[in-house]
Amino acid sequence: MQSRKDMDPFNAIILAIFFPFVAALFVPFIEKGIKHRIGWFSAAIALISFILIGQVTHTVAEGHAIKQSITWLPSAGIEFGIYADGLSMMIGFIASGIGFIIMGYSNSYMSHKEDLPRYYKYLLLFMGSMIGMVFSSNLIQLFIFWELTSITSFMLIGYWRNKPASIYGATKSLLITVGGGLFMLAGFILLHSITGTFDIPTILQNPEIVQNLKVHPLFLITLILIVIGASAKSAQGPFYIWLPNAMEAPTPVSAFLHSATMVKAGIYLIARMHPIFSGTDAWFILVGGIGIFTMLLAGFLAFRQTDIKAILAYSTISQLAYMMTMYGYTSYHEPGIGVAAATFHLLNHAIFKACLFLVAGIVAHETATRDIRKLGGLRKEMPITFIIASIAALAMAGVPPLNGFLSKEMFYETSLEMGHILGGPFEVLIPAIAVMGGVFTFAYSIKLIDGIFLGKRQDHHLPQHVHEAPLTMLIPAAFLAVLVIFIGISPSTAVYYIIKPATAGILLEEVHLHVALWHGFTTSLMMTIATFLIGIAVYTKYDNIAAWQNRTNERIPWFSMNYVYDKIVDGAKSRAGDFAGCFQPGTIKTYINAMLLLFVILGTIPALMVAATLIPDNLNFNVPAYEVLILGLMIIAAIASAVLKKYLHAIIALSAVGYLVSLVFIYLKAPDLAMTQILVETLTTIIFLLVIVRVPQIFREKISRTTMAKDLVIASAVSLTVLILLLNATHEIVYPLESLSYYFVEKSLPLAGGHNIVNVIIVDFRGYDTLGEISVLCLAALGTYNLISSRGDKQ
Amino acid sequence: MNNTLLSITIALLFGIGTFLILRKDLIKVVIGLSILSHAVNLLIVSTGLFNGEKVPIITGEHIEPSSGTIFTDDLANSILAPIVPESAEMIYVDPLVQALVLTAIVISLATTAFILILIYRIYEEYGTTDISKLRRLWG
Repeated sequence: MQSRKDMDPFNAIILAIFFPFVAALFVPFIEKGIKHRIGWFSAAIALISFILIGQVTHTVAEGHAIKQSITWLPSAGIEFGIYADGLSMMIGFIASGIGFIIMGYSNSYMSHKEDLPRYYKYLLLFMGSMIGMVFSSNLIQLFIFWELTSITSFMLIGYWRNKPASIYGATKSLLITVGGGLFMLAGFILLHSITGTFDIPTILQNPEIVQNLKVHPLFLITLILIVIGASAKSAQGPFYIWLPNAMEAPTPVSAFLHSATMVKAGIYLIARMHPIFSGTDAWFILVGGIGIFTMLLAGFLAFRQTDIKAILAYSTISQLAYMMTMYGYTSYHEPGIGVAAATFHLLNHAIFKACLFLVAGIVAHETATRDIRKLGGLRKEMPITFIIASIAALAMAGVPPLNGFLSKEMFYETSLEMGHILGGPFEVLIPAIAVMGGVFTFAYSIKLIDGIFLGKRQDHHLPQHVHEAPLTMLIPAAFLAVLVIFIGISPSTAVYYIIKPATAGILLEEVHLHVALWHGFTTSLMMTIATFLIGIAVYTKYDNIAAWQNRTNERIPWFSMNYVYDKIVDGAKSRAGDFAGCFQPGTIKTYINAMLLLFVILGTIPALMVAATLIPDNLNFNVPAYEVLILGLMIIAAIASAVLKKYLHAIIALSAVGYLVSLVFIYLKAPDLAMTQILVETLTTIIFLLVIVRVPQIFREKISRTTMAKDLVIASAVSLTVLILLLNATHEIVYPLESLSYYFVEKSLPLAGGHNIVNVIIVDFRGYDTLGEISVLCLAALGTYNLISSRGDKQ
Repeated sequence: MNNTLLSITIALLFGIGTFLILRKDLIKVVIGLSILSHAVNLLIVSTGLFNGEKVPIITGEHIEPSSGTIFTDDLANSILAPIVPESAEMIYVDPLVQALVLTAIVISLATTAFILILIYRIYEEYGTTDISKLRRLWG
């Protein structure tokens, strides 16, 4: 039971999600008042979210998941729901806790001259989205928050907008993570079509739904789509390429988003989907396979990196791959053998990797370089940073008694177990792969310490005096280092409050978890010792391996995902350019010709389809002489307006056309139109004359013979099309339904009391049309006024 | 009633208007637009002639309200308008098209005036009314 002091858990979570969003909204205004101290304000928000999430700890630790929702889009079956179990609570804690530390640290890291409101605004938005995502109870809501984290990540990677590398990195991350998110959405929709619900707990808590899903023909494709989304987000498999480029972000952002939280979203999704999809071969091959592949690849590729943040990026990829691998370990009878280990490693990695990034930030801040070839021998000048970095790096390497050791041990244990379940050659292969991953990790972890703090000081690359960082930067890093040791030595608190509920949340059953430093001389301890020995051996060859990798890359440059990505993006850009150039040549005449051509085609086809002949046989030339006269004069006037060179003559001819049209209106039995036409024609002519007085006729178009011929052909084609349409419209096409006009004729007098039906329609039945017409007149008048008055600004 | 001569006239007006909007001189283009809008207006009004004879102004006689008129919105048969049985004879020309054209005439006045002022301003800014010279607008 929750204690009396605690808030209602549902309200607490809702507040924890929306508090950062609301705060982000006010950041620019608050910044006006408190200037650079805005960082502390943001950190306080993160702390509040952390405390709010803390309100659910007791309920969740006792094994009760919180599930509550507000109706959001009832027509689509979508609710805004909260589902808080151990897993979401753990990542919520990581997001808000690391967020608090990072925003505190940023106060010193970010120069006060930077655009701080933008920085903290996106950090807060990201934090809110991340918390919102992990507590989402339905898939659509999860997707929306998921994409929000991608977008805020894009904004933060591209924080330094004038650096091309930032823009490149930001675009790359956006294309890959959002693209992957769309695959995931497709997977969710398939999942909905199979299970009939978007609600995650409904699926989780109904074994029969899950059973049906596993035998459904769409099972595999759904799984593949969701795994693509998760892999793109967590930089797994071929999608890893965006994470190294994302290191262009300010270092606190890298520590927060690109090691501790956002990249864990994919892992979170895998964990969330674990009870739904696991226990199948497809799960093991896809998730475990991608994990193993990425773990080895990224661990290996880390060797040739020279930027310390790039080394950390590759190490993040390989550490995330550990989690993928462990979540991927599954069998029919024991679907979740690696879940506890993966979950524990998720927490540990968030702590030690954020710490390492903070150290990287400190080093870059004090020495102005991140190139490991230029760094070295800083242990005397930065003793505290050295100690913190060593603790975090050794934790990553899996050295006891630090937290990384514990989860690495569990990783080895579960690898042994999985190998045992699979049997045959896998009994050795899977543990061997696990050790190989550990060896790479060990090597690059040692390289970080060795390259930055040990060895010889590179005096010509470094500033004369390197100082220890300010306390505001050291304390957050030191705090994380203390956590690393604390969880390492006494894991029981973290296990009881965080890991056990999270594991139970994934496995949906009671779990008994015992984590301790000393288990006796087990096989996994032997594997750890082997890892260290091989790791030291590999480390002695570190530079040789890096050199070999560089040579290979130069020899076969196309053998990399980055090459493929660049080719695709550049290709898409140039295709888009060609396309736009083809369809938007920029000359108005081309557009008009295209439209006229379409008109001619669309106009003649129906006539051909309805009437067998284009010209019907019931032509009626039986008209009075005055009509022939009017129509003939109209044609002559129109031709005159086209051929007369002088504007004045052409306009007089045009107004003749207009007045003749009003005469035609009269014998078409439309007196209102005739009257309006006369008034409007008079006004139009006056405006024309006013304008041509101001616009002297300097330009005279000389029409070449070919242009003339071409335009005459186009005009004739249009003319013929209209003629065919008109003749057939009056002849063959019978109305399938009668005109609306009868209604107006009948109702005009009884309903509106008007004798003139046209007037009644305009002011009464179709009054809104007339309102629209008046609005057009007003807009034209306003536009005209603005055009005229804007003239004064220039002169 | 079928009026072939009027149809030919409208078609010719369309042709002349089309020829004019293909010109480079902006003033000529506007003249073309005006002729096109005349042609469209005539076209719409002329389609209203088929049913009746009289000008749509009720003079004296009383119209029976909804004698035998069936109103329906039968989507299945793609009928969205009131159906009038054939016995209900129409004595007026179609008033609806006239109302539509009345609106169109006024709006074409507004747009023509706006375009003309725009041309005036273009001339002031660029010193020409030649469309092909206005490359700065192309971006």
